[in-house]
Amino acid sequence: MTISIILWFLAILLAPFFAAVILKVKAFFGGKKGPPILIHYYTIIKLFQKGSVYSTSTTLIFKLGPVISLCAAAMALMFLPLAGYRPVLSFHGDVIFIIYLLGLGRFFTIAAAMDTASPFEGMGAAREAYYSIICEATLFMILILFFMLTGDLSLAAYLSGSLPLGLWQTAGSPLLFVIIALFIVLLAENARVPVDDPATHLELTMIHEVMVLDHSGPDFGFVELGSFCKLFFYSAVVSRLIAPFNPDHPALNGCQFIAALLVVYAVVGVTESVMARYKMDKVPKFILTSFALAFFAIIVTLEFLK
Amino acid sequence: MVEIVFLIPFLTGIVAFVLPGKGRTLLVLTGAVHLILSLMLWTGWPEPVFPAYFAVTPEGLLSLIVISLLFFLISIYTTAYLKKSNLRSENIFTGSMLLFLSTMTMVTLSDHIMVMWIAIEATTLASAPLIFTHRTATSLEATWKYVLICSVGIALALLGSVLITLAMDVGNVHVPVSFSALTNSARQLDPLWLKAGFVFILVGYGTKMGLAPMHTWLPDAHSEAPSPASALLSGVLLNCAYLGIFKTHKIMIAAGLESFSGRILMVFGLISMLAAATFILKQTEYKRLLAYSSIENMGIIAFGTGVGGLGAYGAILCLIHHSLIKSSLFLTSGNILLAFGSRLIEDTGGLVRRMPRTFIAFFCGFIGIAGLPPFGIFIGELLIVMGAFSNGHYVGAGIFIVSLCVIFAGFTNHALKISFEGYRTAVRMEEIASMVWPQYTLLLTSLFLCFWVPDILSRTITQAVTVIGGVF
Amino acid sequence: MTHLVDTVLSIVLLSILLSFGSSRLPVLIRVIGFQGIVVSIVPLLIGHNLSASGIAFNLVTLLIRGIVIPLSIYLAIKKVAIRREVEPIFGQHASMLAWLGLIAAAAFIGDRFNLPAISNHVLLMPTAIALLAGGMFVLMGHRNAIAMVLGYIMMENGIYLVGTTFSTSVHHIVEFGILLDVLAGVMIMAVILQNIKQQFDGVDTSLLRTLKE
Repeated sequence: MTISIILWFLAILLAPFFAAVILKVKAFFGGKKGPPILIHYYTIIKLFQKGSVYSTSTTLIFKLGPVISLCAAAMALMFLPLAGYRPVLSFHGDVIFIIYLLGLGRFFTIAAAMDTASPFEGMGAAREAYYSIICEATLFMILILFFMLTGDLSLAAYLSGSLPLGLWQTAGSPLLFVIIALFIVLLAENARVPVDDPATHLELTMIHEVMVLDHSGPDFGFVELGSFCKLFFYSAVVSRLIAPFNPDHPALNGCQFIAALLVVYAVVGVTESVMARYKMDKVPKFILTSFALAFFAIIVTLEFLK
Repeated sequence: MVEIVFLIPFLTGIVAFVLPGKGRTLLVLTGAVHLILSLMLWTGWPEPVFPAYFAVTPEGLLSLIVISLLFFLISIYTTAYLKKSNLRSENIFTGSMLLFLSTMTMVTLSDHIMVMWIAIEATTLASAPLIFTHRTATSLEATWKYVLICSVGIALALLGSVLITLAMDVGNVHVPVSFSALTNSARQLDPLWLKAGFVFILVGYGTKMGLAPMHTWLPDAHSEAPSPASALLSGVLLNCAYLGIFKTHKIMIAAGLESFSGRILMVFGLISMLAAATFILKQTEYKRLLAYSSIENMGIIAFGTGVGGLGAYGAILCLIHHSLIKSSLFLTSGNILLAFGSRLIEDTGGLVRRMPRTFIAFFCGFIGIAGLPPFGIFIGELLIVMGAFSNGHYVGAGIFIVSLCVIFAGFTNHALKISFEGYRTAVRMEEIASMVWPQYTLLLTSLFLCFWVPDILSRTITQAVTVIGGVF
Repeated sequence: MTHLVDTVLSIVLLSILLSFGSSRLPVLIRVIGFQGIVVSIVPLLIGHNLSASGIAFNLVTLLIRGIVIPLSIYLAIKKVAIRREVEPIFGQHASMLAWLGLIAAAAFIGDRFNLPAISNHVLLMPTAIALLAGGMFVLMGHRNAIAMVLGYIMMENGIYLVGTTFSTSVHHIVEFGILLDVLAGVMIMAVILQNIKQQFDGVDTSLLRTLKE
């Protein structure tokens, strides 16, 4: 139990570090040196030292938004079995709870955005809501597949324990499509290229940044940390599916886990570097492809199970 | 060897492609040789070199003799036709005609399911250049529709053929994949796969045969092609497609599934007749009129085959006589086109005064195709109706008779307009003898066969339909 | 080997998705070429026809279906089409949903027809049905004549898959004849395409609508 709590704290602490890996990979592709690897820590510390500015047209919801999004992401991490150890919390059906938890965080972010009564933030909120609907369809398809394969509804059962799912098991080849679908959902939910550009400066083209445009100081720090945690969550799930091994030695286990995570983050960085951001009307088609892949994986698995 | 019957036209076709200018003589010569060889096949003389693939069956023999006779007479017509209308690339036209003859012969002689498929697809490919002869925009459209729709349909027929071989595997039957062998061991074939295969084969070869609703390419293709080619397409090609369906139907009957296949055949036949009736009533071009009449006749034949017994005998009679009469009508329409210069019915008229010899051919052809005595289609249709009533298909027979009446009314309307109603002038137009007496020969043959069927012919027809429930 | 065959077939099913959603002709041609290659190799991978003549026949089929036919269409495009973009009649979302329905239906029908010969390769029948129906969808869902021909080729690939993997009683000569027929058909279609381009200044078949009634 204590190990799980320590790992949880470590995860929250390391999330900004991994996010900076993406920046380094992008800089490498651009022939630049890039920001220092601890840039996000500096940013968060800087933000916490500032004061917040609240607009007079906002209410309590505006103050709640960042806090709840951070708490939701952090709590989702509690259910994640890190490096194969038991997670802090786990019960039957917790996967659905996690999906709705993340949805809660998203809801409050959107509510905070709309609370500012700014048209830009409303626009970003509308887009964010639209894309996450399709992502949820994919996530539930993947959930159905996992349920069919293991008969269990808890994240711990999928990613740790005696029979973890993984690419290299016997029914593994359909999982390749699941991994790709999950990766596409990762890109969509965490506002990565090709769905959304995290480095764009134009309000008209933002989706995620425009929603949090009016937050400042510690609030913005919470928002940033929350987004790092959410990215860590998705990446951990994908990396666990790629490398479900459980070596006995704890150091080896930890190294393998971190290595797999680094691979996933690096792939995100590569994707951001080689792809351009899609036109707005192509994004639903992109996410629908992930839904089609998940559905296809279900059908192929059904065929194999017969 | 039997295969020589289709190898000779194939070789002469290639020669006609390469040597321009010799095409017309090659056509007539090959037609004559082909006719002689087909008559020799009646006596059972040559043996097939590849008995697994080719065999001489009664229905194949009937179609073959019809093809031969038609091609010989059409080739005589074509020599005069080519002289009158200057085609740009005549060698492609004559070469394609000969290749067309060769592939159609292969269809009638093939016994293997896949070889028949290859031959039918080859007929599509060999006849595509024929439709495109005039190189206008509409003929290009007709060619495209023809090639695409027929290829897709025939692909479905290929799937059906494969499913029938699957029926063999599932039923653990190990015979050569030929129609005759399958008919003998039909009881052991798996019924589910057999039914699926039959449906696909019917849809596929039905597309080639002109059954509605897959008939949409037929009016365009038959009206855009030059008249000798139209005569071949309408008179002979549809028969070849019918052969495939007929042989598969025999397998179904031998397997005891005749109610399934017979019913489907009747439905498709009636739909074709109703579709043809709808479009004949308001037709504006005479070649399209003839094409829709072909669709109607194919519907009649399908219906008769589905009814079985007397109806099947009547269907074969309709098949033979339709080929003779329809090809003569198409040749006559070629005369009309050359004389009047237009495809529309309203631009023609007064045939009785302007071209009396052509008028005789046209009017007798019209009477024949409309089902009036003394031509053979009358007896065929009569037998089909009798068969339908005796087998209890009252509704089907009723729809059959009604559509026949509607088609008769529409066709008569147009035919009277072409023959009798006044034209701007009453000057006689020139008529070449060799463009008239082939039609006379065909019509006289049909008339002759109506009154006296030679013993050998009647025996062959009976052999062909014995299996389909009942003997005449 | 079992896993290899099934993996390759599932990639073929995904390639059908790519052909539905793509709007560029060269992509469609590459997909068709890939499917032709897979369809030619699958009989060898399953273990049918491992005699010398069988292998030779499969190689020739691979050459024709996977290389010659797509190459001839590609050459036809270079001569004929200025615009490489095709506008399908169905939108991209509708095409994707149609693909989903197609795969589900193919899997369902594939289960109905249970053949003992290939019971351990479960994806064969669904892939064949999906190729056939997918080819028809591409054929009917495009106005561009070249895309129609590509749909026809996809259909033929599907039928070939059914033929070679399911039944072993058809001789090679006959299958070769079928192949030659398909090749000749594609050639003639290519010739007609060129003529259409000359006549109508484009390969949009909505221009070919003058003959009615």
